[in-house]
Amino acid sequence: MKRALIIFGLLALIVALPITMRRETVTVTPEKAQDHLVVLTPHNESIREEFGEAFAGWWKKRTGRTIYVDWRTPGGTSEIAMVLGAGFKAAAETGREGIGVDLFFGGGEPDFATQAKLGRLAPLEVFKTHPEWFGENAPVPPGFTGENYFPPDHLWVGCCVSRFGVAYNPDVLKRLGASAPQRWDDLGDSKLVGSVALADPMKSGSVARAFELVVQDQMQRALSNAGPDLEKAKAEGWDNGIRLILKMGANARYFTDSASKVPHDVGQGDAAAGMCIDFYGRSYHQELMRPDGTSRVDWRSPVGGATLSADPIAVLKGAPHPEIAQAFVEFVLSPEGQTLWSGKPGTPGGPKTHALYRSPIRRDVYTPENLANSINPESNPYTDGGTITYDRALTGKTFNTLRNLVKIACIDSHEEMKSAWKAMKAAGFPEEAMTAFTNVSAVSYEKMGKGDPVLDNKDNPLAAAKRAAELGEWFRANYRMAEQLAKQASTTSTAH
Amino acid sequence: MKRGPALLIALVTSVLFAVFFLYPAGMVVKQAFVRPADGAFTLDFIGSVFGNPIYREGLWNAFILGAVSTVATLLIAFPLALIGHRYDFRFKNALGVLVLAPMILPPFVGAVGVKQMLGVDGALNALLMKFGWMAANAPYDWLANGRFTGIVLMNALHLYPILYMNIAAALSNLDPAMEQAAENLGCSPFRRFWKITLPLAMPGVFAGASVVFIWAFTELGVPLVFDFARVAPVQIYDGIKGLDKNPIPYALTAILLVVAALVFAFSKLVMGRSPLGTAPRPKGRMNVEKVGGVKGLLCAAAFAVVFVAASIPHLGVLLLSVAETWYGSIIPEHLTMRHYYEALGNGLVVPSIQNSLMYASCATLLALVIGLGVAWVVVRSNLKGRGFLDTMVMMPLAVPGLVMAFGYLALSQEGKAFHFLVGEGGSPFFLLVIAYGIRRLPYIVRSAVAGLQQSNIMLEQAAASLGANPFRTLRRVSIPLIGANLAAGSILAFAFAMLEVSDSLILAQQAQHYPITKAIYTLLSTLGNGTELAAALGVWSMAFLSVAIIGAAVLGGKRGGLFKV
Repeated sequence: MKRALIIFGLLALIVALPITMRRETVTVTPEKAQDHLVVLTPHNESIREEFGEAFAGWWKKRTGRTIYVDWRTPGGTSEIAMVLGAGFKAAAETGREGIGVDLFFGGGEPDFATQAKLGRLAPLEVFKTHPEWFGENAPVPPGFTGENYFPPDHLWVGCCVSRFGVAYNPDVLKRLGASAPQRWDDLGDSKLVGSVALADPMKSGSVARAFELVVQDQMQRALSNAGPDLEKAKAEGWDNGIRLILKMGANARYFTDSASKVPHDVGQGDAAAGMCIDFYGRSYHQELMRPDGTSRVDWRSPVGGATLSADPIAVLKGAPHPEIAQAFVEFVLSPEGQTLWSGKPGTPGGPKTHALYRSPIRRDVYTPENLANSINPESNPYTDGGTITYDRALTGKTFNTLRNLVKIACIDSHEEMKSAWKAMKAAGFPEEAMTAFTNVSAVSYEKMGKGDPVLDNKDNPLAAAKRAAELGEWFRANYRMAEQLAKQASTTSTAH
Repeated sequence: MKRGPALLIALVTSVLFAVFFLYPAGMVVKQAFVRPADGAFTLDFIGSVFGNPIYREGLWNAFILGAVSTVATLLIAFPLALIGHRYDFRFKNALGVLVLAPMILPPFVGAVGVKQMLGVDGALNALLMKFGWMAANAPYDWLANGRFTGIVLMNALHLYPILYMNIAAALSNLDPAMEQAAENLGCSPFRRFWKITLPLAMPGVFAGASVVFIWAFTELGVPLVFDFARVAPVQIYDGIKGLDKNPIPYALTAILLVVAALVFAFSKLVMGRSPLGTAPRPKGRMNVEKVGGVKGLLCAAAFAVVFVAASIPHLGVLLLSVAETWYGSIIPEHLTMRHYYEALGNGLVVPSIQNSLMYASCATLLALVIGLGVAWVVVRSNLKGRGFLDTMVMMPLAVPGLVMAFGYLALSQEGKAFHFLVGEGGSPFFLLVIAYGIRRLPYIVRSAVAGLQQSNIMLEQAAASLGANPFRTLRRVSIPLIGANLAAGSILAFAFAMLEVSDSLILAQQAQHYPITKAIYTLLSTLGNGTELAAALGVWSMAFLSVAIIGAAVLGGKRGGLFKV
């Protein structure tokens, strides 16, 4: 009996701890709320918390009613795509229009374009209620740096903008004798072997776009130095881009689908540098700041290798609360909603507790007053420069092929790739070995520039798998040969 | 056992299992057998897996990791269980419970804890540098370089409680008279172990080892910590999450399931039954030797060493939860409690505790009822196909979490077969209880089968001949006889249900229905200190599960020990 009392007492104490520490918030419980809104999102907890609270306040002010925002977070964009797929499939089979969800909030343009193509999105009212917000000279332009911010059919709209860049740990770079990365090329520096953290383009459209930009950067550079033969310059640029991806892959520790893993590992010193989206880079930079003002994580946008892409929102067809969903879109795009993205916690118009480190899509909120309260006071992505203009004609058709190439040549073949790279490094990168390693003849621009019809054919996954296996074998044979050549060169030089 | 009740139990459990496991899992995996163009049956995707050296290597690596991890787990668990069985030493009860620590490691942050300890700028390297055993400018990359050994070691240190509990339960059912007889006849301790103890404990060893093998063979988290992608479970995970929707990962899943089933069935043939048959009910525990001095110290040290090694990830999580900064130092440089205030104060936490307790305890109960039924049919009946039933109920352990979760998700949509399981306001209570319960069935079935194999059927026959009906026999004779085994299985089932990931993330959609694992996952995505917040809530769950498991052990073990009934 005494034992039982002690055990139940201890359990009660442990359970009581969070009950007594519970914080009160503006948001109400679902049972008590007069209105509901269901939002499917890959956005992080900080964004959900801040936007949930701010919208509840805005809604109360506007309608006098309480609202409960029901965030649905099955994971990242790939899980969301599966949830939407399962839901709409069942809805179609049972003759329903919607899936009980109002909004899809957050992701990349490719994710929203896919859902729009599948006919799952409803037109946004905000384009009718606030036409003055959208247009070439309006706060939200139709696009920038070659990226779309809303489509002509108004099925989705960007809420904030972001770009991929490089997060790096100055301590580790110093230890490895490498300098701070400026361009994507620097992630191919062999000093960083085993210390580069990369994102997986198979699981995120935005990451796939980042890899596309790595190639496009090389192509645009080749074109800017080109003579009269532009096609040749494009082909050379493409080859350079693929070679750079191979070198980055050879340096990589892994290809992850977790947005926070890269800056986290960089901050902990497990990786020296990695491919990382701006707001994670900024938040880790700030969080890991030392008293002397230096940080364990620095982030930069690679010179000439980034575009400013939109992070969209859309109302789903058959939404159970369409009016509130449309109002949420309006709130997110209003100046009030926009300053939440970049404001310092506790400042007027800013978030309450967590800085979100993101850049608003509206150009008119980058005023001196707002910037003074901004978490990135120096930053106006529309005028900062450093970006390139995405040229869809160059690589747009290879979007899917390119990410498959990263998977085939780097992710699937990573063991052989790393082994060859280490042997080559030990042998001082002999030329023959390097030539074998960076052989990209099977995936030239001529062959892949318009996309590979077999890899891209969704109706014949078997043929796609076979093609991937064959190409993989081809790359691995190159890596094995490179390793052998490196070892031979090493033996020869030792013998001499 | 009479044929009628056996048939009925077999039928009911099979139907439940078919509906709630084979149907949802099959729904997803069937994509591997359908040609997209015309919907015709095809084995081409299976062929394509075997045709690709990357997948062949992935399967082989998974198999080797599974096999070596099982052996390593056995090498940790068996000596511990045997020491606990034979000797009485100081702190035995406390140490016996402490070695169950791996069962309370929260997901997501467990991996972060390991990396904090073993990372390039982690605690271990900092320690080695402090003692001058490692150059400051050349830290060793343990995670990248020690991959295979690292995965095996982490698997073993995480999974040994499963074997330990099953072997401890098996040993507690042994009749000491058998060992004493051997001893009296001059048998050496080693020979006695080899000829008497091990064969008699074989059902327990098999029960634990089969679970451990399938777990390690299909393990996803540990290879991911070591960034080892060429292993089948990681290839499946990557494939399913990929946006290109190729059926190859489902083909790989089907192959993984078949291999797991074959290995299970084969090893059951070889070692599933005690070659010495069932022993009579033990009449006492006379053979526990009280040891003190150096011998007693060595016994305690064996437990302590395993506990300390297995608690490295926990220590990492604990230190992380109070760390202001922890980078390149043995312990955090500055300590803070702010992560606890923020994490435990979050509105998600209190309901999630309530939910998890409800889901996990109901799921354990469900698994207990179905599992006991299956075990009874498998051991006590002579129905044809009972071996097949036994193999099938092990499969929930081998199916990737995402596959099951998406099967349930697809079937619980409005208008679909499982929609009736979605409660008012979208409550996933029944869905999660069933999903958790089915996936934890193997623990119960294995423990119960081992117990029934060891307990003497004559006692049940005696009860029956005295007029007890099958239900009364079960309640008054069989269940009390295998109480230790059922306690072991239920504790494992409950703890692992509390820490379940995939079903929780996908099926608990609304915040008010989140279990604790999804609350941890949610906090993890807080910008800035997400990892520390998740660690703080992780520490809370560890504290809660520890007290719950110790409590169950203390209150459940009638004579003070965990598995002594």
